[in-house]
Amino acid sequence: MAHHREHASETYFLQAEAWSAVRNSLALIALVSWLALAAGYALDRQQFHFSYLVAFAFFASVSLGALFFVMLQHLTGSAWSVTVRRLMENMMRAVPLAFLLVLPVFLGVHSLYEWSHAEAAKDPVLSAKLGYLNEKWFMLRGLIAIALWSLFALRLYAISRRQDDSGSIEHTRAAAKWSAPGTVVLFLTASMAAFDWIMSLEPHWFSTMYGVYFLAGGAVGFMAVLIAVVLGLRSAGYLTQSVREEHYHDLGKWLFALTTFWAYVTFSQYMLIWYGNLPEETFWFHKRLQGSWAAFGPILVIGHFLLPFFTLLPRANKRNIKLLGFFAGWMTLMHFCDLYWQIMPVLHTKGVALHWMDAAAWLAVGSAYGLVFWQGLKEKPLVPVGDPRLEQCLAFHNV
Amino acid sequence: MLEAVLSKLGLPGYEPEAARQKVFGVIGDFDTPEDLLRAIRTARAAGYTRMEAFSPFPVHGVDEALGARRSPLGRIVIVFALLGLAGAVLLQWWTGAVDYKLIVAGKPLFALEPSVPIMFELAVLLSAFAAVLGMFHLNRIPTYYHPFFNYSRHAGASNDRFLLAIDAQDPKFQAEDAVRFLDSCGSRHTEVVEA
Repeated sequence: MAHHREHASETYFLQAEAWSAVRNSLALIALVSWLALAAGYALDRQQFHFSYLVAFAFFASVSLGALFFVMLQHLTGSAWSVTVRRLMENMMRAVPLAFLLVLPVFLGVHSLYEWSHAEAAKDPVLSAKLGYLNEKWFMLRGLIAIALWSLFALRLYAISRRQDDSGSIEHTRAAAKWSAPGTVVLFLTASMAAFDWIMSLEPHWFSTMYGVYFLAGGAVGFMAVLIAVVLGLRSAGYLTQSVREEHYHDLGKWLFALTTFWAYVTFSQYMLIWYGNLPEETFWFHKRLQGSWAAFGPILVIGHFLLPFFTLLPRANKRNIKLLGFFAGWMTLMHFCDLYWQIMPVLHTKGVALHWMDAAAWLAVGSAYGLVFWQGLKEKPLVPVGDPRLEQCLAFHNV
Repeated sequence: MLEAVLSKLGLPGYEPEAARQKVFGVIGDFDTPEDLLRAIRTARAAGYTRMEAFSPFPVHGVDEALGARRSPLGRIVIVFALLGLAGAVLLQWWTGAVDYKLIVAGKPLFALEPSVPIMFELAVLLSAFAAVLGMFHLNRIPTYYHPFFNYSRHAGASNDRFLLAIDAQDPKFQAEDAVRFLDSCGSRHTEVVEA
């Protein structure tokens, strides 16, 4: 028990100046990038909407990954993750931001989605889908999905914060109760959102796997961002006792597992279409083999799967903080590449055409999510201090 | 008669009487996991290197205290996983593109896409076999006879006792010294156990 007491000296609160410094940098990035985006909107509206959609899909999927993960911890009664759960919860707390940030997508329906054009009514395939794919219903579905996610995210966040003061096991039980229906609702609605926001860019195409594909990518992106945040706080001198080698070893296991799950889902979708060889389905991949887009296939297979899989397989590598930090950044980039490859070939059909707005939109949406996340760390503990499993987590050892 | 012949040949288990290990080691019996851990650490500090602990449940820190190496099982498994992977490619290629060439639905005779599920499955299958059988091998299962059970209180290790054995093969091993040592560490009952 002796080493438990040592943790008492560790602070769970960010230093006020350090907090403000990060907040100010985030605010500055937000200001510059949103102004740049406003200019971009005036210059090239279509490019703006596509760049924005990639960025929005990226951060929305990461925050949904956080929501899924928090619910998973409550459902399984995990002790290992208690000290990093509050960071997940703060990422999850940014879910309702989608209410605001989805508006540019709604605004760009005509630039983005072919089914919203008048010609769609004459298209034999699209005309049959217009009962579902029409603007009003599209926006309503989006808002319903975001409302449901926000309900669970804010509820779980409030329960966890209340436990900070009470330390009561009742809050642990309540969180588990909310998490069970929440997981079902999240998977159904996130599938719907993936179909609407990304898959319907190619309204002739269909894949029942797409929802899982989106969530699997989001989970990888979330875990990569979480590891980056955890290691960042550690390098600034926080959480050094409460997130030890044993804990980030487990985060590394999850990054490995989710990367493998993503590959499993992505390959399943690809292989079935390859096998069926039906023109209604294969054109989606054919389009992504045009010109320089052809490079993205191998980039994703190697960079999003083979490289992280074989590097993170040995135990020692998951406990190597530098390597883990590198892969946190790398998988963040790969998640972006994955979404870029899904969305951008609709606009730039001949080949990859990078645009400064791709970066500006990512920074703009990212800094908005980042500010909400960072606000949750202001004068509030970095770990759920009232969680009954906290002691167990602090003493945790991998066998 | 047969035994005499075998012992002349020096086969394992039938070594000449003189060469046979008479003593397995010395086993002590402790009240709590903390006592056990302390005894292990003291023994290591005293220079003992070959020890084994027995406890009714996994005690955190015992492996480190004993200085046990990490199991090589992971390395065994990856070798077999890669063998399964390679075997699956060979199987798919040889059956489809060499031995029985048949064009199905305009697909190539051999392609990686439909082979991946086979590669995955065979890699998993061989991994599972390697993991289970490798674990058996590393734990020397089945072992039909183990001198540990000659210790009169061995049953305590699956109930509420924490046992520490100092192996007779330990270079520092002297039966009387080891008994005295375990007693001084707080062992409730120390025995020299026959092999």
